[in-house]
Amino acid sequence: MDGMVVTMILTPAPDGPLEGIRVIDLTTRLGAYTGRLLSDLGAEVIRVEPREGAPERNNAPRMEDGISFSFAFTEAGKQSLIADSSDADYAVQLEHLLDTAQMLLTSEGPALLRARDLHPEDVTDRHPGLVHVSISPFGLTGQYADRPASDLTLLAAGGLLGLAGDPDREPLRAWGNQTSVIAGVHAAAAALIALLSLESTGRGQFVDLSVQEAVAHSLENAVQYLDLEGVVRKRVGAGPAEAGTGLFQCADGWVYLVGGLGGRPLAWESIIEWLTAQGVNEARTLDADKWQERTWRRSLEGSTAFRQIFEKFARTRTKQELYESGQGRGISIAPVAMPEDLINDPQLVARDFFRTIDVGGNPLRFPGPPYRFANAYVGPRSGPPALGSATESLADVDAAADLGYERTPA
Amino acid sequence: MSTGLPLEGIRVADFTWVGAGPFLTKPLADHGADVIKIESKTRTDPIRSMAPFRDGQSGINRSGYFANRNSSKRSICLDLKHPDGKRLALELIAKSDVVANNYTPGTMERLGLGYEAVRRLRPDIIYLDMPMQGNSGPHCDYRGYGLTIAAASGLFGLSGYPDRLPVGTGTNYPDHVPNPLHGAIAVLAALRNRRRTGQGEHIELAQLESTVNTIGPALLAASAGQQTERAANDDPVAAPHGVYRCAGEDKWCAIAVFTDAQWDALTLALGAPAWASRPDLASPEGRRNARRELDVLMNSATQTWDADRLAATLTTEGVPASAVLDADALLNHDPQLRDRNHWIRLDHPVMGPSIYDGIPYQLSRTPGRLRGPAPLLGADTREVCQDLLGMDPETFDSLNQQGVVG
Repeated sequence: MDGMVVTMILTPAPDGPLEGIRVIDLTTRLGAYTGRLLSDLGAEVIRVEPREGAPERNNAPRMEDGISFSFAFTEAGKQSLIADSSDADYAVQLEHLLDTAQMLLTSEGPALLRARDLHPEDVTDRHPGLVHVSISPFGLTGQYADRPASDLTLLAAGGLLGLAGDPDREPLRAWGNQTSVIAGVHAAAAALIALLSLESTGRGQFVDLSVQEAVAHSLENAVQYLDLEGVVRKRVGAGPAEAGTGLFQCADGWVYLVGGLGGRPLAWESIIEWLTAQGVNEARTLDADKWQERTWRRSLEGSTAFRQIFEKFARTRTKQELYESGQGRGISIAPVAMPEDLINDPQLVARDFFRTIDVGGNPLRFPGPPYRFANAYVGPRSGPPALGSATESLADVDAAADLGYERTPA
Repeated sequence: MSTGLPLEGIRVADFTWVGAGPFLTKPLADHGADVIKIESKTRTDPIRSMAPFRDGQSGINRSGYFANRNSSKRSICLDLKHPDGKRLALELIAKSDVVANNYTPGTMERLGLGYEAVRRLRPDIIYLDMPMQGNSGPHCDYRGYGLTIAAASGLFGLSGYPDRLPVGTGTNYPDHVPNPLHGAIAVLAALRNRRRTGQGEHIELAQLESTVNTIGPALLAASAGQQTERAANDDPVAAPHGVYRCAGEDKWCAIAVFTDAQWDALTLALGAPAWASRPDLASPEGRRNARRELDVLMNSATQTWDADRLAATLTTEGVPASAVLDADALLNHDPQLRDRNHWIRLDHPVMGPSIYDGIPYQLSRTPGRLRGPAPLLGADTREVCQDLLGMDPETFDSLNQQGVVG
């Protein structure tokens, strides 16, 4: 069964934990997930767009009728206000709008912000009760602060790119725009810390988030490896090479099995019993003492021998069959799921995770929020806004106030 | 004595361990919350035994993997299976605002520390569970690690070269990015709501559901009947867009060209090779169609360049570019991270001065800071029992001898 269908904009939604907070969202793609997270939690997030719409509306890939999937995902639940920087009264109107808000989100470097009179130091001077969350590629200070950047180059500058990929090939980008996710989760956490301070003191401030640093905060233990043991970690393909652990081919793709970690077997007896019960007679050879030994487990011979035995069985089964029957025996195994597997995943479906939301006449199944609150509504409330959904233009800010958009006292 | 930190006055009873949970409570601790880790002397946090170790020597107080995730926190050891240990845990919870755990479903309930038990004691508690698959559903008892969550959630399968097996991110990405930080966001939002309404909250962060959001656009595409494939370093529109070989052993530069102006600047910087003026490469669509051939041409043009010099040259001309940095470049050479004082060196009682990740953002008026290195196992048990829970020293010594506290 699908989750609830939410279609109307400006329909009163159940209270979320950020009820009463208004956020003005001027971000590019790099910062767009931040506002989505705040909207899921009940903040009123207003995307300000030029008359022709934010360029991100056109980001590929798109639906047949032109709606961008990444825009639909990051803008769900937001509203749209048209404000064109070519309008004579744009600056005044934007200032007026910021007066009604608790938060401003931007995601460009300091020179670009200053050129639009949106440098956080100046904005928070003019609006002492505002939290300006500045997400920028390299932060607001430092010699690279105004360097042009993209998802790929920031993954490189922050170190994550260098840890991914096969050793004999070029370093590899994680799928999608993960810098938008990495920046978004840190920025939303920082925004909420600043909001707690705003609501207890009445004083705003700005947050200076460097995406390079946020990526560098995601390197597992790579920097500590260098500091403590003098080892510089390199990319190692799909993961550690050990018998019983890694990717295995099955009938419709791959599974990821963890049959050992750090040179020690995990659930080894269960794996042997599982294979034996499926009629794989060679599985009995896995009982030999050498399979308990770190050097054998880490040898190419060892991992190849295990692979031959395991894949003989796995190639006749689907990833879902292997997942359920292996986990039923207490074995850590997971399907290498593709998006079309996930929208039918028995666990996600049983928990009503997906929410069907109408996007331009198309019912799309949005992933539910990353967390569930027992006592509050959390999650996407509507699809991405139609251009100018909230009002026709910034000239209607006063009318917007009449709709109940007055600033909540801090 | 005020620290001036924005979360001062908030206490967290932190039952999280291993990877994801401690990275959730770390930003709270670094911004002033009193985060008290409840640990076990006999069943120690597995990450305390994970490399890297100071000088390569293992030991429960020597792991940099553990230390980096546990700055600014306190550690106490309780035997939660002993009635007195459980009582002390409940006394601590009664003085806390937040309880967080990432045990398998049912563990906290079996210990008598589940949400319902805690709520009777503290109706306004903010209580976070972070099970792998969720507290309900047919797979709720499934087990796994960061890499299996990445596989089950789709990010692993989409990240890779189209002509090879998927390779993922090379890290346990769900443990470092989506799961801990989504969790921190949820706790902070619930704290805000409690201030407004007086109501507590029971938060359930299923790690699968949280991580699935990292590929949100691909799920919408699947729902519209469009397949998403592994694309290595390709971008849907930009070309050239890739990681190109530079001079030296395993040196690379990431370059992304979205516009005609960037294309002109790129080809000029590379010395205007003959192919730069080909008419079929004059438009973004043309370059995108020729991207495989462009990758070959780019590699031949970049291989004599120093990666940092190439990135500096290109970015000066408006082309997004960066050398692919490894830990040595990040820690010891990158001028931007140095300008920003990103890395923090803290003096740990056993490990000595050691490197910790800095906070990737700064609040201008109420900045956070790493207030101290990771705690030794049970370093704060006596102080917490006596000063916070009001236990007298004799009782503490007696419970200590019985192994209930340590």
